[in-house]
Amino acid sequence: MRCTFEAIREDTPGARWQGLFQLRWPAYQQWFLRDGHRARPSYLAGRRALRQHMPELAGLYQQLCELAGGGDLEARFLSQWCPPSYISGCSQAVWIDPYGVAGPLLARNYDYAPALLEGSWLSTRWLGRQVLAMSDCLWGALDGINEDGLAASLSFGGRTAVGEGFGIPLVMRYLLETASTTAEAVAILQRLPVHMTYNISLLDKHSHWATVFVAPDRPTEVVSRTAVANHQHGVEWQAHARATLSEEREWMLSQGVRKAESADDVLRTLLRPPLFQTAYGRGYGTLYTAAYHPQTLTAELLWPDMRWSQYCLDVQEGVLNMRFDANHGG
Amino acid sequence: MKDHTLVSGWLRYCRQWLLAWLQAAQQQTPKPPPRAAQGEHPMQKVSNISDLRLLFHRNERPIYFISATNFNLLGIDQWVNRFKYINYIDCFDGRHPNVFVPPQLPHEEFQSIEDINNYLLQHKDVVDYVERAGGRPVAVFLMFDAETERLCEELGIEVWFPSAALRERCDNKMETVRIGNKAGVPSVPNALCKVDSYAHLREIAAAHGLGEQLVVQTAFGDSGHTTFFISSESDFDRHAEEIIQDPEVKIMKRINCRGATLEACATRSGTLVGPLLTEVVGEAELTPYRGGWCGNEIFPGAFSEEVRAKARDMAYRFGNQLMAEGYRGYFDLDFLIDKDTDEVYLGELNPRICGASPMTNHAAFAYADVPLFLFHLLEFSGIEFELDVEELNARWANPAFIDSWSQLVIKHTANNVDIITHAPATGIYRMADDGSVSYHRFDYKRQDIESENEAFFLRISGPGDYRYEGADLGILITRGRSMTDDFALNERARNWITGIKKYYAAKPIMAVHEEQVPAPGAFKIL
Repeated sequence: MRCTFEAIREDTPGARWQGLFQLRWPAYQQWFLRDGHRARPSYLAGRRALRQHMPELAGLYQQLCELAGGGDLEARFLSQWCPPSYISGCSQAVWIDPYGVAGPLLARNYDYAPALLEGSWLSTRWLGRQVLAMSDCLWGALDGINEDGLAASLSFGGRTAVGEGFGIPLVMRYLLETASTTAEAVAILQRLPVHMTYNISLLDKHSHWATVFVAPDRPTEVVSRTAVANHQHGVEWQAHARATLSEEREWMLSQGVRKAESADDVLRTLLRPPLFQTAYGRGYGTLYTAAYHPQTLTAELLWPDMRWSQYCLDVQEGVLNMRFDANHGG
Repeated sequence: MKDHTLVSGWLRYCRQWLLAWLQAAQQQTPKPPPRAAQGEHPMQKVSNISDLRLLFHRNERPIYFISATNFNLLGIDQWVNRFKYINYIDCFDGRHPNVFVPPQLPHEEFQSIEDINNYLLQHKDVVDYVERAGGRPVAVFLMFDAETERLCEELGIEVWFPSAALRERCDNKMETVRIGNKAGVPSVPNALCKVDSYAHLREIAAAHGLGEQLVVQTAFGDSGHTTFFISSESDFDRHAEEIIQDPEVKIMKRINCRGATLEACATRSGTLVGPLLTEVVGEAELTPYRGGWCGNEIFPGAFSEEVRAKARDMAYRFGNQLMAEGYRGYFDLDFLIDKDTDEVYLGELNPRICGASPMTNHAAFAYADVPLFLFHLLEFSGIEFELDVEELNARWANPAFIDSWSQLVIKHTANNVDIITHAPATGIYRMADDGSVSYHRFDYKRQDIESENEAFFLRISGPGDYRYEGADLGILITRGRSMTDDFALNERARNWITGIKKYYAAKPIMAVHEEQVPAPGAFKIL
């Protein structure tokens, strides 16, 4: 299985984003209608939710809807209001240099099915802030950093509960577009409804960091975990945790972070089993490791034998092809 | 020193005053643009029909009729500038300049016209259409509920009807009787009671002198669905569940009657009363429902002068009572005319426009003056008006202001389900001397029918739609009568119905999931 990673610069929504939409919409449409035609809320409900909870995004949303062809179904998908449920693997780590020499690091593994990765590392200035983020659901984000030095990433929280709220990628986008610091991002997460359970790691250039547990049916909780995988306080969905080795990964990663002497030590942990997963065929393979350095506004994508760096304020476009072995036993 | 303080104080005072004045001047809202530029008509007051025509001829506020089809307000767009139809079904295949039909989206199965309207109001293409047209939009509906009201508010659309809650109250058949009683408008001898059993029903009937043959109606319901004819215990047992579960039902003496309907509009100048229409009910060629409404006729000699005068007077008084109850605007009253005594009784109230509205709004008086619905728009427009309602009513009572038309609603009457492969297009059809029918030309204006040999057909079910028992196929509008003097379909009408139905072709359903087939009578269009 091949994944193409592409760094794309487009300050305001235009032809590039439209091209990405057209390329991926057929697959997303299938996914969006997975539970039948009737399961998703109306256009008006999605727009209402966006206007109420993320008013800053409302204008951008309308712009993207136009680029997507102006149709009802496309607009309902883009609102990300109560999308179909989705889950993934993922591990996240925050490392603060105990000697105060090196800048802080937010790193994560993104574990998922290769066929379902967008692979677009989008550099945008949609609302006036430069944002570099790994795109998901076409305008949402899996992880990223903005020009103020706020970095954020997500991992699935290991619960099946589904409720009325936004799909998490759009929430991540909203954080990166509107917040400058960890405190601001936490405040946003405390008021936004999300439709499933997720763990969000936040780090800003002042080395302020937080792990936020969000869920559709529980109040948002702010905890301090330098390492998180796919459960919150404890495993609640055994089958998922076992299949993705959630507890093992969390334990290994927390050890790795505690012992790390440098940011690279943390990254090495992420690039080795059990954190680096190879169950690509089952949909839990590690597709990339991302590293965000808020102080220098730099970001990297890493694989065991490859490293791709970018500077948030001057992203260099490029393409990288990766091959994953679907038959790997993992 | 003291002087200096005084002077500087005075100067400071002047400066402050000047600043405050400047600030106030800046804060003052800029002079509003002329009302016409805001989409408002500059007319201050409507005093006669010419004013009214001018008012709507120059209307700049977008007014939308949102409904399954545009049937009920067919032709109003020719009287009202910026009047548009937003519909679910495109009866015109995209050829009507004022009909907007958004691309169909998957949706929950509609249970009612309210569901269709709520679906339309959340559809992105409709939202875009309304928002891009700008102005201060107005909506009128055949049916709407609290959810419709909420959606309209969200979209900044003003609903020009009394509230759904008030409409529902007035729609309750028990309430109709009570409003009628207050207005001195009698219903057929009746009792409004909760019924526990057949014996109890008999007791009530005896106490009120209603006789052996009874008609029982529940509070809400469509024609033909919730009216039960009860002469024996077995009749009662068939409908016992529906009757007993209601907190109150209307128990009437059964009379040998003919139905008639009349539309009117309650305004602050008084109630305007349209012409009395006959009703076509339960014709087997048109509807599978016994007692179900399937059309109307209008013609000058339909009722005796006495009956017409009685019905008009009852509608006038009923409308004025509705105003007192808080309801205003368009409404429809059904009458029951006792064939044995010529007595006229109040039947039902439909607090809305309805299936008979196209007949009222295209009667000769409508062309001589304006369609009745324009008074409804006027009532809600916020424009001041004072009309000589007495004079208008007197004119409309004159048989010369009534010409002869009929409309027939053609439903699928067979008890099968299939998929339509071919359907007759909306337009004008011609009948040859041998009674055969052929398509002549596309049209969306029913008044373009030249003679009794032409008819306007509004297609509702088209290719790809399911044809099921009770599905509305289309509506046929003709000049002249469709019924005989004995109120059975006449031969010409039968030929028209056969001729139009012949254009429908369908194929059987192959392996279709049951849930996709609409349940018979799941919702009706009219």
